[in-house]
Amino acid sequence: MSRIDEITRHVVAEFAPDIRADELDADYDLLANGVVDSLGLLRLIGWLGERFDLPVEDFDLAPEQFRSVRAIDAFVESALVKGPA
Amino acid sequence: MINWTDEQRTLRAAAADLGAAVGKDHLERDPTGEFSRTGWTLVRESGLLGMPFGTEYGGLGADLLTTMYVLEGLGESCRDGGFPFSVTTHVVSTGIPLQRFGSAELKQRYLPGVCAGSAIGAHAISEPDAGSDMMAMRTTAVLDGDHYVLNGSKSFVSNGPIADTFMVYARTGTPGAPDAITTFLVERDSPGLHVGSPMSKMGLRTSPLSELFLDGVRVPATNAVGRPGAGFLVLDHVMKWEILLSFVVNLGEMEHRLRECVRHARSRKQFGQPIGSFQAVSTKLVDMRIGVETSRKWLYDTAEKLVARKNVTTDIAITKLVVSEANLASALAAVQVFGGYGYMTEYGVEKDVRNAVAGTIYSGTTEIQRQRIAAMMGLG
Repeated sequence: MSRIDEITRHVVAEFAPDIRADELDADYDLLANGVVDSLGLLRLIGWLGERFDLPVEDFDLAPEQFRSVRAIDAFVESALVKGPA
Repeated sequence: MINWTDEQRTLRAAAADLGAAVGKDHLERDPTGEFSRTGWTLVRESGLLGMPFGTEYGGLGADLLTTMYVLEGLGESCRDGGFPFSVTTHVVSTGIPLQRFGSAELKQRYLPGVCAGSAIGAHAISEPDAGSDMMAMRTTAVLDGDHYVLNGSKSFVSNGPIADTFMVYARTGTPGAPDAITTFLVERDSPGLHVGSPMSKMGLRTSPLSELFLDGVRVPATNAVGRPGAGFLVLDHVMKWEILLSFVVNLGEMEHRLRECVRHARSRKQFGQPIGSFQAVSTKLVDMRIGVETSRKWLYDTAEKLVARKNVTTDIAITKLVVSEANLASALAAVQVFGGYGYMTEYGVEKDVRNAVAGTIYSGTTEIQRQRIAAMMGLG
């Protein structure tokens, strides 16, 4: 399973259990559409840190980085390659 | 079990001496809510305000656990509960977000004042209609050229009456959205910023508090701390530090209170024997001891986890709930152990109850912490 698929499945399971993973567009705005609220954002960041072993406390975080599945995947990619900005 | 070094113990002892000196006249100042300016001068000279900040800004460069250990010593010795609260408010409100999210220019401009205590800090978060539900805040910040224009009002601003700089959280996006809030460092003398009169309160009276009014306050866009829309994440980081630093002070207070209660229970005789020999009293003291040890574990274990870059969102909520409730239970038990003496204002025991109630409210109420823990469990 690709990383973007794994993120999609997690987002659906945790925040949108009424839809199937293949129904969630990778560019769908999770924040503007209320799928992920403020506490949900903390849960999501916590999961990313643990799943991908990222020191999230060291990153210059902004909600923008978690706006969509694609944005989340790009954040993880950048974090794994470059480390904290 | 943390093995503290001699250097850490020396720092703690110095903080304890400082706390004892500041607290000497606490009973006289509590009724009038007088902030100890003498204490502030002492704490500035001590270097304590700069503990967790880089030496390049005048700080001591101490790690989180050392900072906590020293503040625990301050809480143990200082009978003026409001003073350490003002100290930790100053450190966490402006210094902590600046250090983590501030630009190089902002850090250079403001962190030396935080470390030296020459610019007292406060943060302005709560509003009349947005307490626990901070995402419902109405204070707005609208971009106008290279400035943001802030309008709104804030309630319960600790250090407000004495603050020189305010970390203001304002709405820059869609109400309720996780990316709706931005954090701004605002100077007290900004045109349109009005600090309300000091407000009387139940406890922590010597830590002044007020409302804050923002009427078209123009703030340079460069004074945003963190990225636009990142205010909720800035606040989450600040709250982790606020809870660890403020409540480790309470741990010190509980240690002192327990010692005094045990001393009293062993010396005070009724029916020909020390009251501590009665199980009804000793049980209270045992519960106080359990509260101290449980609080210590949660505070320092959570801090170690945070330092290890682990996710502590749930741990912080549990820590806050456990320590604040243990402190309140401990303060109430102390009044009971001291009996009539505990109820009289001249002994200072009842004041701890009034102070401890605040801990179950500020930094997120006990109720909201339970809600937060439930949310992190995926329960809504």
